[in-house]
Amino acid sequence: MSYQSKKTITSMVGGALVLAAYCIYAFGRYSSGAIAEGNLKFWAGTMLVFIGIGIVGIILLQIVFHIALSIGIAVKERACDEKEIDKRIEATLEATVIEDEMDKLIELKSSQIGFVLAGVGFVGALILVVLGHSTVVMLNVMYLSFLVGSLMEGATSLYFYGKGVSSG
Amino acid sequence: MERVSAVAKKFEVTNNIRTLRFFASEMTQQELAEKAGVSRQTVIAVEAGKYSPTLELAFRIADAFGLPITEVFGYKAKENT
Repeated sequence: MSYQSKKTITSMVGGALVLAAYCIYAFGRYSSGAIAEGNLKFWAGTMLVFIGIGIVGIILLQIVFHIALSIGIAVKERACDEKEIDKRIEATLEATVIEDEMDKLIELKSSQIGFVLAGVGFVGALILVVLGHSTVVMLNVMYLSFLVGSLMEGATSLYFYGKGVSSG
Repeated sequence: MERVSAVAKKFEVTNNIRTLRFFASEMTQQELAEKAGVSRQTVIAVEAGKYSPTLELAFRIADAFGLPITEVFGYKAKENT
């Protein structure tokens, strides 16, 4: 599995954890009756907190991932002497993490999928309000569609890395 | 416009990278990737025909073998169309 695929999986795991944590916390509190119907302040605050958790969490996961990657390379290169190993790790890491034109094309195509899903969620949320649902439902549909959109973006990237991608 | 895309769909970019690597003292995919300035993943995808490189990358790959681009890449009709 390539570096880019592993990196995408790491981000997806982070995104999935944030999504699960949000659903457990927010809907758990809502279903227990602790939150009043239409309490927009609670939902907006919770979403802001989880956006922050998501950003920090994914950064931390990426740091841990890169440390693990460096350790993995060091284990592979351990045959060479101590003076050489740092240079070898650096060179291998540099060659591994390079982002080239195919990565950029895949990123472009998969982010299109993410934006489409987020857009569909936004329109769906507006339709729900028109149909008489509360603004809390609209907020949740919008927030969840962004989260699901980012997960689908990662899944699309993995699909393109496996199957290949055409620029046409 | 439809006619143009219909014609384009019948063709594919082919390559001789595997053969050329063999004749270049069994050059590894990693070595080729480093010479062309891309990741090994991209070389694997190009070699397997899963990704058609840009003209610039095609030139860089050809340059890594010291050959003109036409000896590395081809453009031929798909057999199943």
